Amino acid sequence: MEIITANELLSGATVYFQADGHWEADIDRARLFGADETEARDEVIAKAKATGRLVSIETEQVAVEGGKVIAQRLRERIRAEGPTAPRMKPQGLEEGDHVSL
Amino acid sequence: MYRYDEFDTQFVKGRVAQFRDQVNRRLTGELNEDQFRPLRLMNGLYLQLHAYMLRVAVPYGTLSSRQLHKLAHIARTYDRGYGHFTTRQNIQFNWPRLKDVPEILDELASVEMHAIQTSGNCIRNVTTDQFAGAAADEIIDPRPVGEIIRQWSSIHPEFTYLPRKFKIALTGAPNDRAAVKFHDIGLMAQQNEQGEIGWKVLVGGGLGRTPMIAKTVRDFVTHEDLLAYLESILRVYNRYGRRDNKYKARVKILVHEEGIETIREQVEAEFAEIQGGVLTLPQEELDRITAYFAPLEFKPSNATFDLPKLKAENPGLSRFVMLNAHEHRQPGYTSITISLKPIGGVPGDATADQMDAVAELAKAYSFDELRVTHEQNLVLPHVAIEDVPAVYAELQRIGLAEANAGQITDIIACPGLDFCALANARSIPIAQEISKRFGTPEKQSEIGELKIKISGCINACGHHHVGHIGILGVEKKGTELYQITVGGDATEDAAVGNILGRGFIAEEVPDAIQRLVDKYLGERANDNETFIQVVKRLGQEPFKEALYANG
Repeated sequence: MEIITANELLSGATVYFQADGHWEADIDRARLFGADETEARDEVIAKAKATGRLVSIETEQVAVEGGKVIAQRLRERIRAEGPTAPRMKPQGLEEGDHVSL
Repeated sequence: MYRYDEFDTQFVKGRVAQFRDQVNRRLTGELNEDQFRPLRLMNGLYLQLHAYMLRVAVPYGTLSSRQLHKLAHIARTYDRGYGHFTTRQNIQFNWPRLKDVPEILDELASVEMHAIQTSGNCIRNVTTDQFAGAAADEIIDPRPVGEIIRQWSSIHPEFTYLPRKFKIALTGAPNDRAAVKFHDIGLMAQQNEQGEIGWKVLVGGGLGRTPMIAKTVRDFVTHEDLLAYLESILRVYNRYGRRDNKYKARVKILVHEEGIETIREQVEAEFAEIQGGVLTLPQEELDRITAYFAPLEFKPSNATFDLPKLKAENPGLSRFVMLNAHEHRQPGYTSITISLKPIGGVPGDATADQMDAVAELAKAYSFDELRVTHEQNLVLPHVAIEDVPAVYAELQRIGLAEANAGQITDIIACPGLDFCALANARSIPIAQEISKRFGTPEKQSEIGELKIKISGCINACGHHHVGHIGILGVEKKGTELYQITVGGDATEDAAVGNILGRGFIAEEVPDAIQRLVDKYLGERANDNETFIQVVKRLGQEPFKEALYANG
């Protein structure tokens, strides 16, 4: 399965495309795209690019374990959870930073 | 210290206004990301894993207390209350928001600082010895020439779009503390037979995926001719440097592929054309800039450290003096290294409160001056020996009194995969675990000087190639692995470390370092023979055996 991630323009925060069309920081609520959904996935990416508000738009391979969305790559897990040393929260979204398609 | 003149002030203010407009145009959608990216990079603004990162230049590593207070203010107001000092003697903020960056640049301009040319394929921040103007072994204070190079290279119209980034370092002392042989151009102060002071010019050094030791292109260049000679090298590089492959675009590859003799011929031919022209540095101009760095009004003093007495009365202070105090050219004074490597801490990080406190120390005890080192520490360059106990007490209060300069816990580490978009593996937790393993004063005293340097990818921002022990993080089948090198040396005896064998997972690294340290302790001829001296005497084989003895 895949998810779509990006950095939000104003904050630089890591965000994920959600099923309701919003881009939020919570990876567990990311919209999952199956192997047969490449068209829907590419449509979201094209719309995301068109907003001009999302940077470094990428797809990432994930698995779902115990209701949690787990990225396959360590890099992406660190993006989702924040730095490990020192342990810090990821960048938050402020009012006005929220993007939806 | 150098102070901006009217031109500098207007130039930096103009650049801030220009970038503010560019940010506004990006926010309104007038500029797209492809158009905006090169503009933000020219102003030191990267987009990393979690957020934007702003890299602020600290020319030749020199700061005033006012400037450090401002950096603390920026950390507190626009970031998460800390900053990260880098191997380029710069500072990085990891969490700024795009809309705040013009404001931050305005704040920086108010204290004569900026982020220009801290990124991009241009001439980057010039670096030098952290003890410049203070060191007892110095032939010349390199900062005036550093400042002249800064002015020459800032927005140089010919060199804004080079094949790749370009780094210049200089040392005024024969003992190289600025790693000049691993820069695109390295300058080493020399005195010729006539007693004149000038510069030996080296070219083509670098780290990254292809580490190279710089080669001498000319043994002696006068101050007068220096800018013309640098311009000649840059012109040859700009013309012939490879633009077809970014991994082969640095000048070190050009020098390696063409040979230093060919490069020298081309540079000399260019120099013959422009020598004596507009780039000739008049003595009056050198004198004018040198006046900014005039000798300070030191108090006459014959004070020295009475180490036996200190050891009996205050062992912690005694150890601090032995390791973190550097010999000053002025009797009665010393330079104090403030280690940003607390045991188990993040190498190079300082909180806003710590920065404010260090700025106050500089104001009270070091003629208002500070330095950033390429080993990610700070320095109070001019401290009266009698004031060292008071400085130490304040450093203890703020948690920066670690006595470990040059020791096994004084580790260089890049931000690694915890922050950097280019990294393959984490660096900081590896540094922290090694620091905890060897962190007691007793262990560090037993081991002595040993420089460990860690990079989270082959770009080598953590200088692993020149670590006495180097650690390179790579990614293999989804796992972080760490390759270990020994024998690197960033000084005038420059050497690139050799990889000993297969990599280790993170949890195995402290034990692996332990085996190398134990081997060294068992092999050294006496307590004064350092780790790197033993490696140079015995070669890497004994260390390879120690590392992989049990498969």
